[in-house]
Amino acid sequence: MKNGFLLFLGLFSALGLSWAGIVLGSYAQLGALAPYYDDSEAQSFPQRLPGIAARGQLVYRDLNCASCHTQQVRRPDFGSDQARGWGERQSVARDYIFQPWVQLGQARIGPDLTNLQSRKPTAPDEEDLMEMLYAGQGAMPAYRFLFVDRPVVGQVSEHALALTGSLRPAPGHEIVPTARALALVAYLQGLGTGYDYPEAKPAVGGGEPK
Amino acid sequence: MTAQAQVAPEEASTVGSAGRLPLLLLLGCGILWLLAAGVLGLVAAIQLHAPWFFENCRILNHGRVEALRESIWIYGWVGNAGLCVALWVLARLGGEPLRAGNLVVIGAGAWNLGLLVGLAGIVLGDGTALPALQLPGYALPVMLAGYGAMAVSGVLSWAGRRRSVMFASHWYAVAALFLFPWIFSAAQVTLIWVPVRGVLQAIVDGWYTQGIWSLWMAPLALAGAYYVVPKATGRTLPSYDAAALGFWCLVFVGPWTGGRHLIGGPVPAWISSIAIVASVTLLFHYLIVLINLRWAFGGGGVALKFVAFGLAAYALGGLVDAVTSMRGVALLTQFTHFDSAQQQLAFSGGISLMLFGAVYFAVPRLAGRPWASGALMTGHLVLAVVGVALLAVSLGAAGLIQGAALNEPAVPFAEIAERTRTWLLVATAADSLILFGNLLLAANFIQTVACRCGRDQEAVTP
Repeated sequence: MKNGFLLFLGLFSALGLSWAGIVLGSYAQLGALAPYYDDSEAQSFPQRLPGIAARGQLVYRDLNCASCHTQQVRRPDFGSDQARGWGERQSVARDYIFQPWVQLGQARIGPDLTNLQSRKPTAPDEEDLMEMLYAGQGAMPAYRFLFVDRPVVGQVSEHALALTGSLRPAPGHEIVPTARALALVAYLQGLGTGYDYPEAKPAVGGGEPK
Repeated sequence: MTAQAQVAPEEASTVGSAGRLPLLLLLGCGILWLLAAGVLGLVAAIQLHAPWFFENCRILNHGRVEALRESIWIYGWVGNAGLCVALWVLARLGGEPLRAGNLVVIGAGAWNLGLLVGLAGIVLGDGTALPALQLPGYALPVMLAGYGAMAVSGVLSWAGRRRSVMFASHWYAVAALFLFPWIFSAAQVTLIWVPVRGVLQAIVDGWYTQGIWSLWMAPLALAGAYYVVPKATGRTLPSYDAAALGFWCLVFVGPWTGGRHLIGGPVPAWISSIAIVASVTLLFHYLIVLINLRWAFGGGGVALKFVAFGLAAYALGGLVDAVTSMRGVALLTQFTHFDSAQQQLAFSGGISLMLFGAVYFAVPRLAGRPWASGALMTGHLVLAVVGVALLAVSLGAAGLIQGAALNEPAVPFAEIAERTRTWLLVATAADSLILFGNLLLAANFIQTVACRCGRDQEAVTP
């Protein structure tokens, strides 16, 4: 190889081809993906995150929760995602179109969080999630900096954690979640792929189309 | 095959005083960042088996530590040291002193300043949580400008080379210098300034991650390896004609592995299918590089040994990548520590060891004096090789256990953590070995560059 011009041309086309193929190609396929309107329910899916949950996603992103948690359920014959109760169906691209910062994740040090509010048999409620964030659980560290330990002035706050045992705050004190913790928990509770899109129904293999 | 006892004077002066300050500055920054990444990597590794470690520190919670470590390793270590090696190789092959050294200094300043601002951004909560592009948007244009300034010097060396012939090191160095700004800015625009919607973010990020791997990090390391092996062994490369095929294979096929980690995810299936085909096709590249550089395995100085172990880790990392990209294997290894094992093998093994080899070869010729201590060099080699091997094996074992347990729905996550604990402890030990080895490099580098005392009698050149 002696020709510098050819080298540059080759390099540029290598990069351009992969960019066109992967970035433009997938953009052409998914870029215009629209919400799905269900006549019988008279509304479209997915729905946008409520404001507080959208702020919670920023907390999730800033703490890089995706370094241990995924948000994607794989199809039934690929891994134990559905057997673990993480979702009734596989996640599809349409589930994510309204999420400003998609957090698919690449590691499962902890469980998938896609359908946290519809776990069987019991889904964690706000109080459980708050306590888990405050105290940690198993391999998950505690996130105490998302909470404030403050003296009770007047009535105990409605958000104060009901902690027991060694975690109980000093007498006259209460542990209250910060706005960030409230937003994060609202986000976690709002995550869900409840609606069955046509493309999310598992393909029944083998047969001729009816 | 024989290690040179002393640097020939004319060799030391080719890049000469013009290149000394800018390139040693780049390298010094790179080594500092490498140590920082090592410390953070150690913290992250400890947190995996001891979640209470720094748990109440908002700066050092696990997610942020991972983000900081990854950014520092890629942009701090490879960005600085890799560029130092590429610019040095280009200047040497051009046969002229390094040009536009001032621009290199200014560019290095901007690059590292931008990186520092970006890391502060992650600490303050502006991290993007995008793999390989964790730095917040406002840091990136400064870094891009800095990179452009540094690359000018390489382009001048390449354009003004005395002989029109181009060597394999030329291709790899030019490819890395030229392609990075394009990928970097394309990813910035589509992921940060005007983010694409939905899962396209994950797809573009995958393209970016694999793109900087195959078009930037690997070429930077290979530019050094393709230069050092023939120089240190004194033999021409075998099957040189095939080298071009290996090069174009990496450049054309590499970025198509973008869907590598999206298997089974909510993305079109063709994206991961193409990634599997590309990962397997890349084996051709690894094979050619091994054949081309096989004299490295014949022994020689410390620099050559580093390159040899680096090559072995690089090829092995590629093989593991190809095997685990298969859907049947990914079923076991996806989302587990096995992915980190592969990454560490390729990054801390392949890229770092090859860069170390080039650094050990280049510094005496740059600084005009041999390395201060041969014992530190040997110590670094042993610690680095043992550390990388131990890290890859322990994380791989932890990953297999984790993957098998994940596939059993009845096993809770606390139990998985318990089962992998032993191997994660071993991985922590391996991380400390690597960090300790890198400290030896830093000590040796400071002694060699800063010490003015004449130690030439007892000094060593790899």
